[in-house]
Amino acid sequence: MLPAVSFQKLTKRYRGLTALDGLDLQIEQGEIFALLGPNGAGKTTAISIVAGLLRATSGQAQILGRDVVADYRFTRRNLGLVPQEVNYDPFFNVEEAMRFQAGYFGVKLSAARVDELLDALGLQDKRRANTRQLSGGMKRRLLIAKALVHEPRVLFLDEPTAGVDVELRQQLWRYVRVLRDRGTTIVLTTHYLEEAEELADRVGVIHHGKLLTVAGKDALLREHATQTLTLTLATPLAEVPQPLRALGAKLTGGTALSINTAYGASFGPALRAVSEAGLAVSNVETRRMDLEDVFVSLVREGDAA
Amino acid sequence: MNAPREPPRSPAEPEPGSLLGVGMRTLLERELRRFLRIPGQTIFSPLITTSLYFVVFGLSVGTQVRAVDGVPYMRFIVPGLIALGVVSNALLNTSSSLFSMKIQGIIVDILVTPLSYGALLSAFLIASVVRALMVGILMWIVAGLFTGFGLAHPLYTLLSLTGVALTFAAMGLIVGVWADKFEQVNFVPAFVITPLTFLGGVFYSVHTLPHVLAAITWANPVFYLVDLVRWAMLGIHDAPVAADLGALLILGGVSVGVAWAMLRAGYKLRG
Repeated sequence: MLPAVSFQKLTKRYRGLTALDGLDLQIEQGEIFALLGPNGAGKTTAISIVAGLLRATSGQAQILGRDVVADYRFTRRNLGLVPQEVNYDPFFNVEEAMRFQAGYFGVKLSAARVDELLDALGLQDKRRANTRQLSGGMKRRLLIAKALVHEPRVLFLDEPTAGVDVELRQQLWRYVRVLRDRGTTIVLTTHYLEEAEELADRVGVIHHGKLLTVAGKDALLREHATQTLTLTLATPLAEVPQPLRALGAKLTGGTALSINTAYGASFGPALRAVSEAGLAVSNVETRRMDLEDVFVSLVREGDAA
Repeated sequence: MNAPREPPRSPAEPEPGSLLGVGMRTLLERELRRFLRIPGQTIFSPLITTSLYFVVFGLSVGTQVRAVDGVPYMRFIVPGLIALGVVSNALLNTSSSLFSMKIQGIIVDILVTPLSYGALLSAFLIASVVRALMVGILMWIVAGLFTGFGLAHPLYTLLSLTGVALTFAAMGLIVGVWADKFEQVNFVPAFVITPLTFLGGVFYSVHTLPHVLAAITWANPVFYLVDLVRWAMLGIHDAPVAADLGALLILGGVSVGVAWAMLRAGYKLRG
């Protein structure tokens, strides 16, 4: 199957600034892909090139195997974009805005489709409201409705939940999963690592316009994350007993004994060693790195490289 | 990776024949409805302004001025005033629509669609021409109440006004795409178009001007457009009609060509 999106050595330079530096990435059809990166990493630039809002300096971007410049009418017909910046057309109401947007794609919007989208995005009672009168969250939902009117095969969500309250965020996440389950490929950029962790099938981390890593979310955690067992000892120790030292245990302040293991590995051997050493434990704490920790460490490595 | 419950759908093809397709017609409808939603600002305000010119220059000054080429002064200034109304409304419609789309960020909604450059250009230009002709026809009706409705060449009147409207609609598009600030949107009509139109023989025949002013007028491209409209409406003209027509075709061709090239290159729209 053709990849949904493919970037090949995609480069974008503005005066003196390299926003994308030879980005190579493939996003498969039917997945939710999260593109992560700090501010200015090049996420929005990459999306904007695919959507036709920016022109690449060099390299290529493709949607479903077709070039986004040479074959722009095909690629844009199959692509929906929810831009980061909320916009609205003060001349028209919600339904008109949706109808116009579908029309630009050459699609006549059926009444059933309008209802479906308005219901899914909780805008049914705002159907005839002027877009100017919508709250910030509603304007953002209208952006999503507009991006979906033509049933795109690939949907780009650029920071979809920035400034959105928790309830709405959960609602949007549910809807994104529904879309994926119906066969739409979703590419989202986000600052919220929680969002990527919750939604994404695969995650790509970009920094300084380059791809640092791309992997399934679980694989990324397995490869880059660790977990820590910290025991508070009832009696202070002078040094770490030998069997525990072999497991890499570290002693802090005489009573805090911490042991790092690979993500998802069992703490059994460590606990057995503690018991065999006859240590009295007054408290046990475990901590797993999450995607956010992995992301921060990857970006730091990227900076150091 | 979770397996999707439904397989990815096969890609959709863009609609064929993009130029006159649903996409272009939708954008045209949007553009028409935009200015029709605010008729006070887009139709009646220009109608009142230009009607005032007509009343002030025609009724007050006109009584003191003798006929020009056998045509009463009141009647003589009608084609120029209509041309002025058409020029400024065609220019304003595209420039303000495009500029406000840029400022409000809704230009993105259009840039991400499969609309071809030709479809984009056509929709913006046709909407502006419609508005300009509406203003022009309403002005003609108002003027007609004072000076009569006779037209020397009705078909050429419509064609020449359409050509003038198209030319300045394209210039408005260029301004709207180019401008980064509101001030710049106003700059071109205020500092270039209005002076050129006023000095383009709206209120006088070039033959009545002193030598230097006449020479300047002959060098003013807008003069030929006003002259063409006057020929079509009244049957009198200062320059050869072929020269008027040539000026319109050159000015129109260049404006539309530049506007199309800007859209195609993505100038200021697709960075």
